[in-house]
Amino acid sequence: MSPRIRVALLALSGLILLPCAAQVIAGLPAFGSTIAQYGERINAITPEARHVANMVSAINFDLRGLDTLGEEFMLLAAITGTVVLLRGRRGEGNSERAMRRPGRAVIPRSEATVLACRIAGPLTGLFGLYVVLHATVTPGGGFQGGVILASGTLLIYLGEGYAGWRDAIRSHWLDALEGGGALLFALCGLAPMLVGAAFMQNILPLGTFRDLFSGGLMPVENLGVALAVAGGFTQLFLEFMEETREAEEPDEPGEETA
Amino acid sequence: MSVLPYAVAAWLFGVGLYGIATSRNFIHLVGCLGVCQSATYVLLLGLGYRWGSIAPIFYDHPPGTPAVDPVMQALVLTDIVVGATLTALLLVLTVQAYKRGGSLDPEKLRPMRAGGKSGQRQDAGHTSGRVSEGGRKAS
Amino acid sequence: MTLAPAVLLPLPVAIPLVFCAALLATAHLLPGRAPDVLALLAALAVAVLSAVIAVHAADKPLVYWFGGWEPHDGVHLGIGFSVDAASGWIAAFIGLLYALTFVFAWGFFDRTHGHFHILMLLFLAAMVGFCFTRDMFNLFVWFEVMSVAAFALTAYHLAESSLSGAINFTVVNSLAGFLMLGGIGLIYAQTGTLDFDSIAAAVARGGRDPVVAGAFCLVAAALMIKGAIVPFQFWLADAHAVAPSPVSVIFSGSMVSLGLFGLAKVSAVVFGGSDQVQGALPMLLIGLGSVTALLGGWMALLQRHLKRMLAFSTISHAGIMLTGLGALSIGGTGGMLVYVVGHGLVKGALFMIAGILLATQASIDEIALRGLGRGIWPAGIAMALAALLLCGLPVGALDQGTRLVQGALSAQGHGVALAATAIGAALTGAAVLRAAGRIFLGLGPDPGDEAGAPSEDEREKANRPLWLMLAPCCVLLAVDMALPAGPIAHALPRAVSAFMHRPEGGPLAEGPGWLPWASVAAALAGAGYGLFRNRLPAFVVQPVRATQSVPTRALEILHSGLIGDYAAWLAVGVAVIAAVLALV
Repeated sequence: MSPRIRVALLALSGLILLPCAAQVIAGLPAFGSTIAQYGERINAITPEARHVANMVSAINFDLRGLDTLGEEFMLLAAITGTVVLLRGRRGEGNSERAMRRPGRAVIPRSEATVLACRIAGPLTGLFGLYVVLHATVTPGGGFQGGVILASGTLLIYLGEGYAGWRDAIRSHWLDALEGGGALLFALCGLAPMLVGAAFMQNILPLGTFRDLFSGGLMPVENLGVALAVAGGFTQLFLEFMEETREAEEPDEPGEETA
Repeated sequence: MSVLPYAVAAWLFGVGLYGIATSRNFIHLVGCLGVCQSATYVLLLGLGYRWGSIAPIFYDHPPGTPAVDPVMQALVLTDIVVGATLTALLLVLTVQAYKRGGSLDPEKLRPMRAGGKSGQRQDAGHTSGRVSEGGRKAS
Repeated sequence: MTLAPAVLLPLPVAIPLVFCAALLATAHLLPGRAPDVLALLAALAVAVLSAVIAVHAADKPLVYWFGGWEPHDGVHLGIGFSVDAASGWIAAFIGLLYALTFVFAWGFFDRTHGHFHILMLLFLAAMVGFCFTRDMFNLFVWFEVMSVAAFALTAYHLAESSLSGAINFTVVNSLAGFLMLGGIGLIYAQTGTLDFDSIAAAVARGGRDPVVAGAFCLVAAALMIKGAIVPFQFWLADAHAVAPSPVSVIFSGSMVSLGLFGLAKVSAVVFGGSDQVQGALPMLLIGLGSVTALLGGWMALLQRHLKRMLAFSTISHAGIMLTGLGALSIGGTGGMLVYVVGHGLVKGALFMIAGILLATQASIDEIALRGLGRGIWPAGIAMALAALLLCGLPVGALDQGTRLVQGALSAQGHGVALAATAIGAALTGAAVLRAAGRIFLGLGPDPGDEAGAPSEDEREKANRPLWLMLAPCCVLLAVDMALPAGPIAHALPRAVSAFMHRPEGGPLAEGPGWLPWASVAAALAGAGYGLFRNRLPAFVVQPVRATQSVPTRALEILHSGLIGDYAAWLAVGVAVIAAVLALV
């Protein structure tokens, strides 16, 4: 189809959908007037039932923990897929060492950059840990903190150069971190079943409201998510960066197509 | 203006879809998909909002203070993760497609073209390379 | 504490997840075959556990509340799984299909540190979760996990065509995810809950409501995209044709039909109380299903790339399933559920044969392979048998499903849809029979119209003995033929009434007994025409060729492989659903 026909088709469907959408919008409760009973109920009972201040974390790690388990493994699937697809052509064997790109000059870093990175790196890591640990109290949680931790590792690259980064970060460790974190989360679900409780039932002592140690099982699950996300995102950075380093070699057939 | 957020959500989805339909660059297309996805963010957060409410975190405010819908916020958090995974995967596919085909134009990269004959393969390096170069302009 | 059967419910999802996390954490330490063994064990565990659950759910659906959040005063705070016998058996079937696929792919992916197995196990867990859940958003989560694992698996070969197919697949199915999420947001805002039963109750109380109709429109469009229904079907042929054959087994055997399974559940349970939705469904589903059945069958007949042919055949069969769903009766839905299992078994076997050809003969092109299959004649027998089952040979589960679907359609007087199901099955059967005749018997020297179809050179690693690849394929066919019709017919009304939350009806009607035979005869005739075209008199061949060429070319142009076209068709499809809903 030519783009013109495509746009015509889109416009035609838009014409049909417009009145339908208008009707739906008119039928919705007015914006900002009320919230659903489910959310209202959670806001009402959860601070007392689970001793946590952050309702979103309570939903993610307790009330609807299964969703987060699925979401965690969705991320794991995406990162595993990324690794498979990016490594497909380079081959698995080369994942240990940094690849060279002949002909590309190594630009020396200014000392200010190195210093800034060496200061900012640990601080970023610390902030990431803070966000992870305070999941049940303040905004944040394993996902957000994990991403911050992972992006902190990029400062090693910025400050120490690619080879330094690759020396500090090992792909296998990242796999272990990612898989281990996800395993911890899944086992947090299964462990309560051993004592006869439901999957992911919060059986640990709930702690004190507004305290770092509140929410029972939630901080443990949260830690699993943080490990998995930090490992996973670092793996993602590593594989994408490796892609920029690839030497221009004659096209090697992928292993399956050979 | 109580319908504005919902109208914006519908508009974002439509605009994103238009972008996908007419895109001539995969990176642009991934961006358009992101626009479509932000329609869901706007819709969900809009549906969960209530005037004069706080964020659903009872740290500075005591429990019982009217707060917005935490369920929608949790759903959007999941949605964001979905967005991150999709973007990562699509960019990987784009990188690999660019390496194989040398182009980012969806019109130049087709799943499979007609008229293929197994005897006609040109490039010996590509064991699973393209068969026919005579791509039809399907317009 | 006594071990109630409901305690088992989280395990079929949790076990593959635990296995895949452990595999990832230890992948580089494990010896070569360990991922194969572990993945096989996990899939078998899922199959057995799901079967046990299904047996226990025969009387009453089993319900499980995660985190111990059981509903109080009718308010559902947590996520629940609710498994009726039908959902349980579908999950058991999926587990079996995965187990056999892992056998089929034994050693195929041995150089990826188990990454293939990790993705497949995630895919499996997501499918089981999708079958079991009773929560709208949880359904979406599993839908997305399924999609993400599938996207990565599709592009595994990293050829240009597989990358392009994977991109189309990813973009279209991501849009499906967004539509579904939008629909969930709407229904949540209107009913204030995410639990299937509470939404159903709120919808039934609400009367005619455009928001409910809009939510259904979005969710149904998303599930139909997954189920490859016209005009959302384009991605399927691109993706299934290029995915590695073990992955295609799963795609065609279970992923597509699960989309329709989800649609069946959502439309019967969640939107069961909306008169507007229920009024629109027959016209929508039977209309789109009939078109899909015919278009998929027609396109299958025109293909020469075997996996692409099977992909179009899957589209056709998805259409047949949708017509069964559109009857909105116990018989139609029951037939569709049996059809899902039967079709998955037969289509899985066919994709395995395609994989055998890729591995042993290093090609997938019907015309290039002509006569080359003689050395592996057992695969030819299996392929011919599978083709006959596909077009309606009256043995086994697929046939039982077909007859129930046709019975439900004829009971309501949908003559056109009835004909479409028979013709669609006949066309796909004819295509596969023709390919079998050409590849294994060396017939059909005149390539005819197929010569102009898209094709590509492809091969897969030939590191497995023929018997290892053929055995799971034969097991699939044997299971399809050996599934006992009597007990299924006996248990089905009760299982489906639990599945649809409807009172039980009488025994289920079956379609006219001659119809499957007519399909088989038509398929044989079609295959014969394709193979002996050069020997037929001109007055037979000329008119067929003349009338066929124009629509053929038009259809090929529609399946352009351009993502922009697919996005436009997606909008058209959503508009069609919305228009039908608005007119009722």
